[in-house]
Amino acid sequence: MSHGPADDAIAGRAPGDRPVLDPALAPPFPIAALPVLRNLQLRKNVAHATDVIQAKRAHLVAEKTDWQQLRTAAAGIRTHALENLGAYLEQFEARCTAAGGVVHWAADAEEARRIILELLREENATEVIKIKTMTSAEIQLNPFLEADGIRASETDLAEIILQLGNDEPSHIVVPALHVNRGQVREIFARTMGLPELTDDPEALTAAARNYLRKKFLSVPTAISGANFLIAETGSVAVVESEGNGRMCLTLPRTLITLAGIEKVLPRFQDLEVMLQMLARSATGERMNPYTSLWTGVRRGDGPQNFHVVLLDNGRSAILARERQRQTLRCIRCAACMNACPVYRQTGGHAYGSVYPGPIGAILTPQLTGMRYAKSLPYASSLCGACYEVCPVKINIPEILIDLRAQVTDQERHEAVRLFDPMYLGMRIANLLFARAWLFHAAQRMARIGLRVFTQRDGWIHSLPGMGAKWAQSRDLRGLPRQTFHEWWARRKEVK
Amino acid sequence: MEAQYSDSDRWLYCIAVMRASLFITCYNDTLFPETGRAVVRLLERLGVELDFHPRQTCCGQMHANTGFRAEAFSQARRLVRMYQDVDALVIPSSSCVAMMRDQYPALLDELGDEPLRRQFDALLPRVYELSEFLIDRLGVDDVGAYFPHRVTYHASCHGLRSLALGNRPSRLLSKVRGIQLIPLANIDRCCGFGGTFSVKNSEVSSAMLAAKLQDAFETQAEYCTALDNSCLMHLGGAMHRQCAGMKTIHMAEILASTQDGEAQA
Amino acid sequence: MSASSRQAILDRVRAATSATAGDHAQLASTYSVLPYPYIHAGKLDAAARIALLVARLREYDAEVVECMGGELPAAIAAQLAASGRHSFLAPPGLPAEWLASGFEWKIDRGLSAEEIDQADGVVTAAFCAIADSGTLALHHSPGEGRRVLTLLPDWHLCVVRASQAVETLPEYFARCPSPPPALVTWISGPSATADIEMTRIKGVHGPRFLHVILVHDEPIHDKEKSPHHSLRLKEAPHFD
Repeated sequence: MSHGPADDAIAGRAPGDRPVLDPALAPPFPIAALPVLRNLQLRKNVAHATDVIQAKRAHLVAEKTDWQQLRTAAAGIRTHALENLGAYLEQFEARCTAAGGVVHWAADAEEARRIILELLREENATEVIKIKTMTSAEIQLNPFLEADGIRASETDLAEIILQLGNDEPSHIVVPALHVNRGQVREIFARTMGLPELTDDPEALTAAARNYLRKKFLSVPTAISGANFLIAETGSVAVVESEGNGRMCLTLPRTLITLAGIEKVLPRFQDLEVMLQMLARSATGERMNPYTSLWTGVRRGDGPQNFHVVLLDNGRSAILARERQRQTLRCIRCAACMNACPVYRQTGGHAYGSVYPGPIGAILTPQLTGMRYAKSLPYASSLCGACYEVCPVKINIPEILIDLRAQVTDQERHEAVRLFDPMYLGMRIANLLFARAWLFHAAQRMARIGLRVFTQRDGWIHSLPGMGAKWAQSRDLRGLPRQTFHEWWARRKEVK
Repeated sequence: MEAQYSDSDRWLYCIAVMRASLFITCYNDTLFPETGRAVVRLLERLGVELDFHPRQTCCGQMHANTGFRAEAFSQARRLVRMYQDVDALVIPSSSCVAMMRDQYPALLDELGDEPLRRQFDALLPRVYELSEFLIDRLGVDDVGAYFPHRVTYHASCHGLRSLALGNRPSRLLSKVRGIQLIPLANIDRCCGFGGTFSVKNSEVSSAMLAAKLQDAFETQAEYCTALDNSCLMHLGGAMHRQCAGMKTIHMAEILASTQDGEAQA
Repeated sequence: MSASSRQAILDRVRAATSATAGDHAQLASTYSVLPYPYIHAGKLDAAARIALLVARLREYDAEVVECMGGELPAAIAAQLAASGRHSFLAPPGLPAEWLASGFEWKIDRGLSAEEIDQADGVVTAAFCAIADSGTLALHHSPGEGRRVLTLLPDWHLCVVRASQAVETLPEYFARCPSPPPALVTWISGPSATADIEMTRIKGVHGPRFLHVILVHDEPIHDKEKSPHHSLRLKEAPHFD
């Protein structure tokens, strides 16, 4: 493989052109998807990776005869935890504090960043090592810390690839799945000063091991996320594969865990359900290599200063909407994005959020209070593959439709919508569908009107307005001379 | 032709007095009347006394799925009232049946119209997608059809997941005389239609379509069939654009075909 | 920390769920009726359970050998010798006869991370092994070591007794003490990643080599006491 200067652009991006994952700044999904759709290498990488995980997942789920029962139990536990979130958060706080941890509460991203920065300043930290945490990406922690002179070093292999490659995550479990081995080689060779590096994944992995080992042994502060918070015990659980998580959780003097308030499970034993599903759903393994659970501080074992930052940042508002509350059941397995035929074509960056795919399409706009990312609820064909694989039974298509209704209700009274072809069309269609005679008249008019566009072969090859979007890649058969109801009426007359 | 039925005359007796009403759906009425004619031919051949409500229009799916809930309310209300007295409602479109099963309950609850909700609850068990009606209600999988062509079956997402049609389509197709069925790879992957998705996200939709077409073309079938003309409009439109030679056909039309040809009712 | 944010979040959460503070009895009763229809107890006999455990451990690249109780010290010595390594670590509480002679041993009584990092390997016991997923569970009790001990060395030998093997994850939870352990590490095969093109690569940051010795306490035939613990205990939770 050749690695010319063009490879400098990760997966085909123009150099320095970093994907925008801030919902307030990102372009709408259909626009953001365009450069990706032209990037055949990236689409190939995404399709390959998602096909592999999906096949492995399907195999392991088929082997598990009680999978549907586990889904029922998991959904039940998560629903119960959310319905009683206040009590469980307080219980978690009390138990964690009793075990020597310090619990902080952050109403929004800004407050969470400030709390973490203050904690790091108390430690006089100049560098902090991090386990992959989507929540820290959600609050854009790294650039904030770097602006304050604290280097945030990612330690997950995929996150290193992205950090060194000036790229952004495109998946919540395998964040660099849009990058292939040749591209990883190029990034590592350039940034680690290893011109002889080959594109063998073993060699690349070894390079990352050597690069990080010194950091693990020397940097005294770490930041992690949490897969689960256990209310009963005040424990935190983190699942991972590489061991970088265990490094961050045990070697430093100070550990700060950032967790969304929705991550609470009532009991330790609830893990018997969640952890039978998480790895199978996420990576197609019966169990991920490492699962760590710790409770506050233990003398002589692991960090002696432990802080948990509980983050709201829009979650309590989602909780308040009863039909959409199920969004918060999510355990971040990413099975929905692996199964999604839209994600398969676009990868994650087009979603303009650290949470891509179907779960991102419902979570992102809700986290912004429906102020941004309003194109995401439409970034789905509603095929239902996401719901089918979701281990906690989040009915994503139903929520997508609810959010579309919310967007429409926000927009429908805006003056500009009077001329919006979608709104106009929907309003007219509603008038027609309410009265059969009007509907039938419209059918006849359409039959005449479309005749202009109908070619001699009886098909329409190009259309104006919104129809042009259809005609981009598809013809439309010209309208038949007789509708079905006309045929039926005539048939009855003849009889 | 009689000989074709010899192994299954029991059902002829069972369904002798079956009555059903046909909800053709707005887009089939306008764009695919041949599907409706095929359903009539098929069901009448099977002895069903078919009725058609002339004032029917739309189930509201397009509005609901695009976020126009208020508009979907009025269509749901209209449809439930229109069909409250039917013995059975047959709909040759899996997505419209899915609309009623998945979305009407919440819509009607939101409307807060208790009597309407009760009417709907009473109606719902009598609502059938075409293949459900044939297999579950009529108890027949051999409909005496003849279709000597290579055919591949595309499972629409709504049929596959919402209605869980399972092996009903393949049971029906496998009993068709002369047919050569070729399985479609990645049958559980969406074709990219998704209603207004195909316009709002036209480029992504087209990319999904291209992937589906590739699988379809690899079957080398003459026809791609489905229980939903919306997918077929999408697939067929692209096949025509690409001069691919493969055609789309609603499964009702295959099941309605007989050896003595297109006997127009 | 902002005390007002704490109150504000809790108020918003309570308003959102229309739950009232402090109704713990109600909470325990709604928890107790949650559905848990999945499989709890395994169906395999002892021999099949061990066979499954061995197969699943091997599937994820762990090396497994089996031996009888009396052969354990010799089996450990053989594994150490075969590794070609010399300096090993052991946690306090490991039986003295496991520390085979001819190798350099350091007992972890507060070793520094650097000292641990420099060792060639580590030998520990475990709390439990779960056959279904090929998982070793460490609760970091005596004999199992601090968390860092099984992390930095590149080679980990873990000794598991057949009586410690369960078939399903719920059976493991049924064996867990009450109150639950404060520190838990589950290990399923050596450290791995699939971050590059979904190719599973062994050994990123944790030990690249995981060896398991499975000890049969007596000749294999099913004399196993079936666990009579109620599998999912539903007693009321204790609130502070």
